[in-house]
Amino acid sequence: MSPSGPLQLGFIPLVDAAPLIVAQEKGFFAAEGLAVSLSREGSWATIRDKVAAGALDGAHMLAPMVLAASLGIGSEPKAMIAPIALNRGGAAVTLSSRLTGDGDAGAGLSHLVRRRQEEGASPLTLAAVYPFSIHNYLLRHWLAGLGLNPDVDVRLTVVPPPRTAALLGEGVIEGFCAGAPWNAVAEAAGVGQTVVRVTEVWPEAPDKVLGVTEFWAAANPAILQSLIRALARAGAWAADPHNQPELVALLARPEFLDAAPEAIAAGLAEISFDGAAVNPPRREQAAWLLEQMARWGQIGEVAIDKVAERTWRPDLYTAALGG
Amino acid sequence: MRVLIIDPDPARAALVAEGLDGIDPLKVRVAAVFDEIDVTAFQPDVVVVASESPDRDTLESLREASAVNPRPVVMFVDRSEPGLAEEAVRAGVAAYVVDGLSAARVRPVLEVAMSRFHLMHQLRADLAKAKADLASRKSVERAKALLMKERDLDEEAAYRLLRKLSMDTGRPLGAVAADLLAFAGVLKGGDPT
Repeated sequence: MSPSGPLQLGFIPLVDAAPLIVAQEKGFFAAEGLAVSLSREGSWATIRDKVAAGALDGAHMLAPMVLAASLGIGSEPKAMIAPIALNRGGAAVTLSSRLTGDGDAGAGLSHLVRRRQEEGASPLTLAAVYPFSIHNYLLRHWLAGLGLNPDVDVRLTVVPPPRTAALLGEGVIEGFCAGAPWNAVAEAAGVGQTVVRVTEVWPEAPDKVLGVTEFWAAANPAILQSLIRALARAGAWAADPHNQPELVALLARPEFLDAAPEAIAAGLAEISFDGAAVNPPRREQAAWLLEQMARWGQIGEVAIDKVAERTWRPDLYTAALGG
Repeated sequence: MRVLIIDPDPARAALVAEGLDGIDPLKVRVAAVFDEIDVTAFQPDVVVVASESPDRDTLESLREASAVNPRPVVMFVDRSEPGLAEEAVRAGVAAYVVDGLSAARVRPVLEVAMSRFHLMHQLRADLAKAKADLASRKSVERAKALLMKERDLDEEAAYRLLRKLSMDTGRPLGAVAADLLAFAGVLKGGDPT
């Protein structure tokens, strides 16, 4: 244990922060001898900066953030690594109820975009939750599949997840791609309808990971191993259907998600927290994420294999949990 | 220079704005949340954001989309002073600078923001401590009065008894006094809360 007090770990209020919250509240950190203080953060940018500056030891991170931070895209370069993936699933595109009506929502959207272009009206605004997220890539991929160019035919912006339902209702945005529980929250409020889920398009895509700096990992190898074990066990606990009611009540608490239990339960149904297909950080996933970043012009030519090898660390996962 | 301060805490935003007053020429605007239309109209050179504000991610996306956005925004990091960005992170301040503004002009703005954030934090901590001290003093006074009545002690003796309890249990005087009052309440059949 570091002599300077408990480990500081950051999270964003999302259902997929469950492994950290469960590890803290159900004693999985304590069982590894870890004293941890969880810090709820308001933005991914703050998570990135605090981890980079050492104000946090590690955090719940969007998988592509680890790559963007390491490459210095959108911030100063800081070598970060993903030693365990926390979940798959949960991301989904929700469109305003005004657009979904009856029939094929996607066809309706592309029709509306084309009609507005003919009329010379301003483009529709759609939101993702962060530039470096599978939410952004899913939204763009889905739009491209409708024959729309996401950089030209619509206006893409970023909206903090807790504000998505309200902005959809006010007509500020016409749709968004966010993680659980925010799609269910918009549906429950009657302002939106979920039209596509990441599991239908990319069932293998990693969503959140534990992100730490390469420097911290090298300086604290034993603590990192304990952390990986605690998070893997917390993920298994969260995945056990018997624990679902307790998990929903825990996540709903004001200091964690502060959201409706029904929306959290709906979100949990779409997320996998546990298993050989979920937790080990596989390098092909990092390579795939880098291809997404390149597809949408976020990065130029990079040595994909090299970057994947340095940032995605299945070796550390295996060292902590065994092959 | 035009500075936009985005902070959900209006008192702190006002404190930063007041601190920036000495830097000239300067026009300062304060907002609780990021509003793109509002920002486009104001045309800030620097945006100072409280890092607890969820609007940081929206601001960063503007820079990301700079090919189509007329006002690129770049996070301020002065490479010549590696500690400054870390210090700002710890103070809870983030700053975004419109391309072209020199680091030398931004630095004083960031320094004022950081010092005012620290000041606000200190003020809030002092206030919380003052409230706790007051509550503790009230508990001690009431516990003393209770001991004087129930044990027929004078004020000095009642205080000494409380202090002995505090030293024996290794707990603060205020906490011992609060416990004593709670127990007395239970013994009298009252509700301890």
